[in-house]
Amino acid sequence: MFRYSFSAVLPQRVSKLVFQPIVVLIQILVAAHCTTEVLWSQTTGQAVAKSRDNQEEVGLQEDVIPLLQEHCYGCHVGADAKAGLKLDELVTTPADQETADMWLRVLQTLQFDEMPPPEEERPDPIEKSKAIIWIEHQLSISELHASYRLKLMNPDYGNYISHELLFSGTIKTLPFSPSRLWRLSPQIFQHKGIRDAQSPFSFITSERGIRDYAAASGVDQSTVEMILINTDQLLDIWTREGKFDSLADDKSMPADEHLADMLKIEFRRAIGRLPQPEEQAKYLAFLRKNMADGGNLDGFKTTIKAMYLSTESIYRMELGLGDIDSHGRRHLSPEELTYAISYALTDSIPEQNKLIREAITANKLQNRDDVAKLVESILADGINPRNTPRVMRFFEEFFGYNQADKVFKDMSRVHQADIKQWNTNRLMYEAEQLVQYHVNRDKDVIEELLTGNRFYVAHPGDNDIARQYYDEVIQDDYAEQKVARRIADFERAKRDPNRPQEKEELARIRQDAESRSKLVKMAFEDGLTPFPGWPYEQKSGKPVRGQTDLIYIAVYNLPPTHRKQRQVWEWPLEQPFALPADQRAGILTHPAWLAAHSVNDGNDPIRRGRWIQEKLLAGVIQDVPPDVDANVPNDHHKTLRERMEPVRAERCWRCHRKMNPLGEPFEIYDDWGRHRTEVYFDQDGLIVHQRGKQFERRLAEGEISPRKVDATGMLLGTGDPAVDGEVTNAIDLMRRLGRSARARQSFIRHLFRFLMGRNEMLSDSQTLINAETAYLKNGGSFQAMLVSLLCSDSFLYRR
Amino acid sequence: MNNNMLVTRRRVVQAIGSAPIALTPFLQSIAAHAAGDENALPKRFVFVVKSSGIDKQNLLPSSLPNPWQQDRDAMVDVPLMENNLPDNLAAFAELRDQLTVIQGLSGKNFVGNHTAGYGALSCHHSEQVAVAATVDCILGQHLSAGPYRMYGMAMNGPLLEQYTRGPQDSYCYPNLSASAKGRPVAYQASPKKAYLELFGSAVASPEQIRQKLTLNSNLMDFMKDDARRIEKQLSAEEKDRFSHYTDAFESLRIREQKKVSLEESIKKNAPELTSKYDSSVPSVRMGLHFELATAALITGLTNVITIRPDTLGIIYSELGINQHVHALGHLGDGKTANGWDGPRARKEIDKLHLNYIAKMAKRLKKVPEGNGTMLDNTLIVYLSCAGGQHHDGQRDWPFVLVGGMQNKVRSGRYLQYPSYQNAGHRTIANLYLSLMQSAGIKTADHFGQLDAQLKDLDLAGPLSELAG
Repeated sequence: MFRYSFSAVLPQRVSKLVFQPIVVLIQILVAAHCTTEVLWSQTTGQAVAKSRDNQEEVGLQEDVIPLLQEHCYGCHVGADAKAGLKLDELVTTPADQETADMWLRVLQTLQFDEMPPPEEERPDPIEKSKAIIWIEHQLSISELHASYRLKLMNPDYGNYISHELLFSGTIKTLPFSPSRLWRLSPQIFQHKGIRDAQSPFSFITSERGIRDYAAASGVDQSTVEMILINTDQLLDIWTREGKFDSLADDKSMPADEHLADMLKIEFRRAIGRLPQPEEQAKYLAFLRKNMADGGNLDGFKTTIKAMYLSTESIYRMELGLGDIDSHGRRHLSPEELTYAISYALTDSIPEQNKLIREAITANKLQNRDDVAKLVESILADGINPRNTPRVMRFFEEFFGYNQADKVFKDMSRVHQADIKQWNTNRLMYEAEQLVQYHVNRDKDVIEELLTGNRFYVAHPGDNDIARQYYDEVIQDDYAEQKVARRIADFERAKRDPNRPQEKEELARIRQDAESRSKLVKMAFEDGLTPFPGWPYEQKSGKPVRGQTDLIYIAVYNLPPTHRKQRQVWEWPLEQPFALPADQRAGILTHPAWLAAHSVNDGNDPIRRGRWIQEKLLAGVIQDVPPDVDANVPNDHHKTLRERMEPVRAERCWRCHRKMNPLGEPFEIYDDWGRHRTEVYFDQDGLIVHQRGKQFERRLAEGEISPRKVDATGMLLGTGDPAVDGEVTNAIDLMRRLGRSARARQSFIRHLFRFLMGRNEMLSDSQTLINAETAYLKNGGSFQAMLVSLLCSDSFLYRR
Repeated sequence: MNNNMLVTRRRVVQAIGSAPIALTPFLQSIAAHAAGDENALPKRFVFVVKSSGIDKQNLLPSSLPNPWQQDRDAMVDVPLMENNLPDNLAAFAELRDQLTVIQGLSGKNFVGNHTAGYGALSCHHSEQVAVAATVDCILGQHLSAGPYRMYGMAMNGPLLEQYTRGPQDSYCYPNLSASAKGRPVAYQASPKKAYLELFGSAVASPEQIRQKLTLNSNLMDFMKDDARRIEKQLSAEEKDRFSHYTDAFESLRIREQKKVSLEESIKKNAPELTSKYDSSVPSVRMGLHFELATAALITGLTNVITIRPDTLGIIYSELGINQHVHALGHLGDGKTANGWDGPRARKEIDKLHLNYIAKMAKRLKKVPEGNGTMLDNTLIVYLSCAGGQHHDGQRDWPFVLVGGMQNKVRSGRYLQYPSYQNAGHRTIANLYLSLMQSAGIKTADHFGQLDAQLKDLDLAGPLSELAG
C-alpha cells in the first residue's frame, strides 16, 4: 500500500503560465527559425510588444505574401478575382471581423489543400505550413475566431498541424504537455467497481476516432448529479448491510479515533489511496460539523459524498509536481507518474497493479529509465484485453472495427444476400485477435496490420488451445469422456448424478457430443480437418470465447455450415492462416472494418476514403458544408459508384477527390465484407442483390448478367512518388500504403494522441520522430514505439 | 467552514425572495389569466413509455374493419365516438374529445434488442448509449421553471429476465431519456424515495427540513472550497472547463431553494403518504408513480414527467398472470394462470396502463387553469419503447395522446398513416416535431436520424393532420 497526496505540494509549485497551444506553436516556430527567443518569453512590456508588432509584420512579408504571390495571385487579384477573393487587398493582420474572415478563408483553403487547383504546382509543404502558422497565430491573438481555436483542441482536427514540419527534424523545441485536469474515463469508473452504478462520465468526442481527450472531457451538473445518485445508493446499501451501525442516531458521537478509521476506509474506497494527515484532519473536522448539524448517520453520509464528489475522484491531475528543469518544464512527480502510466496502459487505479505498486514502493519512478523499465515489465506480460486493456482500445478506436455492430442492417437483407448469420460480435472479436497476434509478435506491426492476408476465422486465438479442443473431439469415445468429466464435476460439487436434473443434463451433454462426433466422422470422410467447436470458458488460464458452428463465415468468402450440418470448409487448426492474397490485405479488408465503414444498405466509399485520408495520410478534409445534401440518389439501375458520379462535379470534387478515389477501391467487397469481382443486373437492368440457390439458377439460365466491378482509384498525398499513383483495387491500395512512410507516421501521430489525450503540437516533433526511430530500429516494433512515447518529454513533462 | 454558514429556513427563503427565480406554474397561470393570454399558460407533457410494444389492433375503433393489410396507401382520419371506442380505450369515453390515437408511424432505423432504448425518444439508433437529447428532455428544458427540468420514474429490475427479488428501490437508467449526448437521465424507481424527494417537506418536521438543508449546504460549500484550491492552479482555458464542475454545486443548491419556495404548494398538493408506498406489487407501484406525477405537475415541481411503468422482467400477478412480460410476448396460444392467451394478457396490461392514464387525465381536468383546465395544457403521450408488438420491426408504432396543448394539437381523432415506404407515410420523428412545435419550440425540419429506406419520401416537418 502506498500513500501520497497532491494537496501537500500543490499550491507552491505550479507556475501561472497560461497555456495556449497556438501561441506555443508560434513560439516554437519562431525559435526554430532563429528569431529572438526572448521576444516570446513570458515577460511583458512595451519594448517587447513593439518588437512583436514588427515580428508580425515581418512574418506577413516574409512567410505569407510571397507564398500568396507565387501560388494565388494568378487568379485572385483585382476586380475580376475568382470567387470574389481579392488577395491583393489582404495586406494587414486580422484587425477587424472582415479581414479575419478573409484570413480564415485563406487558412482553410491552404489547410485543406483545396488551392491551388490540382493541376497547378503545389506550394512547398514547409513554406505552406509557415504561412498557416502565421495566420493561425494572428487569428488567435485577434480573438476574432475563438471557435476555430477551440476546434483545434478536438481530436477530429488533430491533423491540422503540418505533417511535414512535424517530421522535418528542424524543430528543436523541447516537448511537454500542458498542465491539466483530465476527467476519468467511463472505463476507469467501471473498474473502480462501484456496485451497480452507471458511469457518470461519458465521452462527447466522436464515436469514430480517439475518444478520451483531456480537453474534451467535461464535468457538469448532470455528472455531479449522477455521482450523487451513485453515492446515495451505495450509502443506502451499506446502511442496510449494517456497515454504519455504530453511527446510529440514538448512539452518542463516536470517538475521534473510530471516526478517523472509518474515514480512512471510505477515503481509500472513493479515491484509491490513503489520506494524508492534513486531508484526514480536514475531513474529520467536516465530519464533526456535519454530525453536529444533521445527526451522526446523515452527517457521516454527507462527508462520504464529499469524497466521491471531490476533484481527485473525478479527475486525474497532471500538474507536474516534480522537479523543474532549466527550460521551465516540470517533471511529473512519481505519484503523478503512477496514474499516468496506469491509465495509459490499463483502466485500473495504480494501486491495483502489482508492478506499479512495487515500483513506487521501491522508489523506482524517478526518471525516464525507471519509466521505461516499468512500462517494459508491464508489456512483458503480454498485450491483451486483460493486462493492457487500454492499449487494445487504441486499435479499436484507431481502426474503428469495433463499430461494426453500430451499423444497422435489415434482417431481410441478411437473408436476401444469403449471409446466413450476421455475427458482428464475432467479426469484431476476430479483428481484435488479429491485432493481438501482431502486437505480441511485434514485428513490422504497422505494415502487417495494413497488408497481411493471414486472418483468424472461428479459432480460439491460441494454437495450443485449438489443438486441445481438436484432440478431444476426434477421440472415438468423445461422448463418454465428456459425460465422465461432467460426472466428476458433479462429484466434486457433491451433486448426485442420478438426480433427475443432473441426469437430464448428462443426457443433453451426451447427445450434443454424439452429434459432434458424427460431424467429425463425416469431415474425416470428406478429407477435412473437423471444426471442434468449444464453449465460453477458461482454458489454460485464458478466457476463450465460445463458438459452436461455422454459420457466420460467408463474409470471408468461406462456405458456412450450421451446428448440425456437414462441414464443407477445410478448417485450419493453426491460425492465423492465409486467405487468398488477391482477396484480403490487412485490417481494412477485414469484414469487421468493412461493416463498420458501411451504411444500412450498402458500402460507404466516402467514409472509407475519409478514414484513409485522415488516419493514414494525416490529411484534412473540411467539415461538410451546411448546404450539401449528403444523400446518395437512389437508382436501382446503377452501381453505387455510378450513383456517386455527381460528386465529381467541380464544387463537390474539391473535397471528394480526397475521399472517393481512396474509398472506391473497396468496391471489391459488398457491404457484408464478401470479396467480389462482379456485380449483377437482371433483364430490366436492375441491380441484383439476391444471392443463394435461386440466384445461381437465374444466373445459369441467363436471366442475370454479370458486370465487372470497377474498383480503380487514386492514391495521392503520401509524399512518395513510388507509392502514389493509380490503384487497381483495395489490395493494390493497401500494399502501397503498407510501404508508405506517411502512413506509418500518421499511425504514430494517432497513437501519440491516444496516449497523451490531446492533439500534437509542433513542439512534440522530437517525440514523434523518436517514436518512429524506435519502431524502425527494432524491426517494426510496436512495443518499442509505445515505450518511446511513454518515456518522451511530451509524456513526462508539464508546463 | 464556520458556524455562520449554518443555513436556516428563514435565510433560505430570504435568499429566494431576492433571487430571480421563475414564477411557479400556479402563479404563472394566474398571471396569464389576468393578462388574458392563454399562450402564456404553462405547458406540460407526460410520457408513459411501456416495454414490449403496444398491440396495434387493441387501439382500432370498432367501426374500422381490418385496415392492417401489409400495403396501405390511404390515410385514415376518423373521429373517435362513444360507440366506436375500442375496449382498451373505454375509460376515455368522457374524454374522447381530448383523445387522439395515432397509428402507422414508423421508427424502423432505431431498433434494438427488445427496445429501441434512447432511440424511442431521440430517434437515433442508440439502444444503450445516449447519443442525442431525447424529446422529453428537450421539452423539459424549454418548459420547466420548477426545481426539475424533467422528472423520471420507473420500474427497476432486470431487463429481460424474470424478477426474482421484486422491483428494486433505487435510481436506475431505463435507457430512455437523455438531456444531451452522453448525458443519460436517471429515473427514480422507488415511489417512497420519489415521494420524499418531491414532497418530502410535506411530511418532514421543520427540524428535519432544516437539517437536510444545512447538510446539503455544508456539502456544497465544502466542494466549492475544495475546487477553489485546484482552480488556482489552472490555466484560463482549463479554468473555464473546470467551472462547469464548480457551477454544478451552485445549481444543485438552487434546486433545493426552488423546492423551499414551493413549500406551500407542496404541502397543499402532496399525496397522502400511506403504507402503499412500501409495496412491491408492480401495479401498486405503477399507480403511485402516476399519483406522484399528477401531484408534481399540479404543484409545479416540473412540467415534464416520463414514466416507465414496467419492464420485460416483471410479472403482473395481480392480474392473474404468472409469466413475466417478456414471456408473454412469446406465449402465443399458451395460457397464463387465469387462462388468458398471450395477446389477451398483453391487451390487459395495456389496458391497465391506459386506465391509469385516464385517471390522471380526469384528475387534471378538475384543476381549473386559464379559461379551462390543466388538462387543456397538458399532453399525456402513451407509447412503447419497442413499437407495435413484442420484437417489433417498428413499421407501425402506435401512440395514444390525451389532453391538449392549448388547441395546438387536434384531438378526438383516430389517425392512421399509409404504410411504410408508401406516399404519405410519416415517422415518429414527425410526431415529435409536432409535440415540440406545439410547445413553442422552434425546430429544424427533421428530428433524429433519417431512415435511408425512406429517402424517397418527403419527411420534413410536423404531422399536418395533427395541427390544431
